[in-house]
Amino acid sequence: MLESYLGRRLRLLKESQNSDGGWGYFPGKRSWLEPTAYALLAQHQDAGTATWDKGWNLMRQWQREDGAWRPTSCVEDAHWTTALAITLHCVRGVYDGHFRNGVDWLLDSAGAEGKLLDRMISYVTKISPTGHDLRYRGWPWRPGTASWIEPTAHSLVALKKAAPQIPGALVKRRIILGEGMILRRRCTDGGWNYGSKEALGVQLPSYPETTALALLGLQGNRDAELGPALARAKRLYDDGQSPLGSALLKVSLRTYGLNLGTESPKDPGRDLLVAGIEAIGCSEGSFSLLRPAA
Amino acid sequence: MTSNSSRREFWGLAATGIAAAGCTFVKKAELPKQGKSVVAVVKAASYSEDLTQKILQGIRECGLDVKGKTVLLKPNLVEFDKDTAINTEVAVVAAAWGAFQSLGATVLIGEGPGHRRDAFGIAEEAGYRGLSKFEASFVDLNRDDVTSVAKFAEHKEIYLPNTALGADLVVSLAKMKTHHWAGATLSMKNFFGLVPGSVYGWPKNFLHHTGIPVSIIELNRIFRKTFAIVDGIVGMEGNGPIQGTPKKAGVLVMGTDNIAVDATCCRIMGIDPLKVEYILGAKSLGIAEESRIEQRGETIASVQTNFELIKEFAHLRI
Repeated sequence: MLESYLGRRLRLLKESQNSDGGWGYFPGKRSWLEPTAYALLAQHQDAGTATWDKGWNLMRQWQREDGAWRPTSCVEDAHWTTALAITLHCVRGVYDGHFRNGVDWLLDSAGAEGKLLDRMISYVTKISPTGHDLRYRGWPWRPGTASWIEPTAHSLVALKKAAPQIPGALVKRRIILGEGMILRRRCTDGGWNYGSKEALGVQLPSYPETTALALLGLQGNRDAELGPALARAKRLYDDGQSPLGSALLKVSLRTYGLNLGTESPKDPGRDLLVAGIEAIGCSEGSFSLLRPAA
Repeated sequence: MTSNSSRREFWGLAATGIAAAGCTFVKKAELPKQGKSVVAVVKAASYSEDLTQKILQGIRECGLDVKGKTVLLKPNLVEFDKDTAINTEVAVVAAAWGAFQSLGATVLIGEGPGHRRDAFGIAEEAGYRGLSKFEASFVDLNRDDVTSVAKFAEHKEIYLPNTALGADLVVSLAKMKTHHWAGATLSMKNFFGLVPGSVYGWPKNFLHHTGIPVSIIELNRIFRKTFAIVDGIVGMEGNGPIQGTPKKAGVLVMGTDNIAVDATCCRIMGIDPLKVEYILGAKSLGIAEESRIEQRGETIASVQTNFELIKEFAHLRI
């Protein structure tokens, strides 16, 4: 019997797991949190098995004392992939000290562009130097830098899943601000560029990967008109130029309930991040794990 | 940093959400490089010419020996727009591949695009995946394994990709373009693509906050075993590096001193290199003065063609 699209990807992931329990971006390379998180989500049905738990335990080891996660063993810095680690905790239903410290760090993290001084200058001069509404701060790739669509979207996915476990209004407020940031940076074509909708007065085009993630981050927002964004996402998906973009668009469009049909049993490439996301986003995949908590 | 460029950088970055808070100011070089640097300027009217021979000519003029060495070709692969000339043309990458391989080198191609995460997707659009050896030799430097290198501007360290750190020679296969934050982007600025997105994000906002000129200089300080090949057959003028207009200059500019190569490119483009902050600040790393560059091949005057500059960089005009 022909091995399924999902089966081929899961087999590649199983065969490519590093001895430390994690996954690299490519087979034989060092483990990183991002491909490890997607590989674990893709194989979520194996949670509790020795091999899955080895990856989970590795990921847990990479948490810093301040609650943030580092992206790989040899990089000490706090990193946006903290959001992925929190999402994994929610998927696994583990709401312990690691989880709470991670959420606290994420709630405390924000783009550098929205600092008080910037907002004061903007208020006094009536000019927003970024062209953005500085009241709506998202999340940066790493501390001390500006907000961008991708880390903001990942943080929204994490916080929306974590929200029922976190008392107080701060989670809700950060979700509102993060969604506001994303919605205010939508390109005129309906999707999202990586950070801005224009540069020096020139409109920017949307990209597949950022459009997919922005929509993922906006799940559950009942006020925003997302029809044009979903239409743009579908067009980008149909274009299919970007393997990573297509994989993320599949996850995103499926979380919104779009019927994309069933995949033919095509072999994955050697990119383990893409293989993991393709496994999550396929018709039999675990994409629903990335929906917000009910 | 001049007051003009300082303001320009702040507002330019801020306009796209990259506030330049904490920007490090470039220190003037104290120990300028001695002697002369060789730069080869080779005419190439189109991408259909025998570019391998032209690159071999440049390599010979510069006296480069790569036999038995691992050479990393680092093109400028940013994003794709069929209507303009953003990326190093695939024909130049193919020709460089052929040239270095014919000289006995092991050749790799590596790039870490600054905006788009999907290096393979951009490579597909830009025609790179049609290169016969691409799949086996391409390294996505954004997602390579990394090693910490001590000291980067005011930071105690920077993480850089092992493939680039381990190469015997990094070839900056740059595009000749104007740049709306830096004035011009050539072989030196092309090294931004060596900084891994897996650590620093997309875009590599860490470099913007550190300061664009100082980051360019620091990367060129760290990567010293280099060769530059600047694709000026068709470059970009105006609002580069992405939204500008194609500009035909009909040249390949090559050399072992990235600063000298970039200074020469600037002169070809009608830009005074000594007004470009990162070139001025890199005097300890290479030679920018025209009198100390040994020009081989074509003269600058024979290929000089003014690249249109946006008004914020009009002061760079020679």
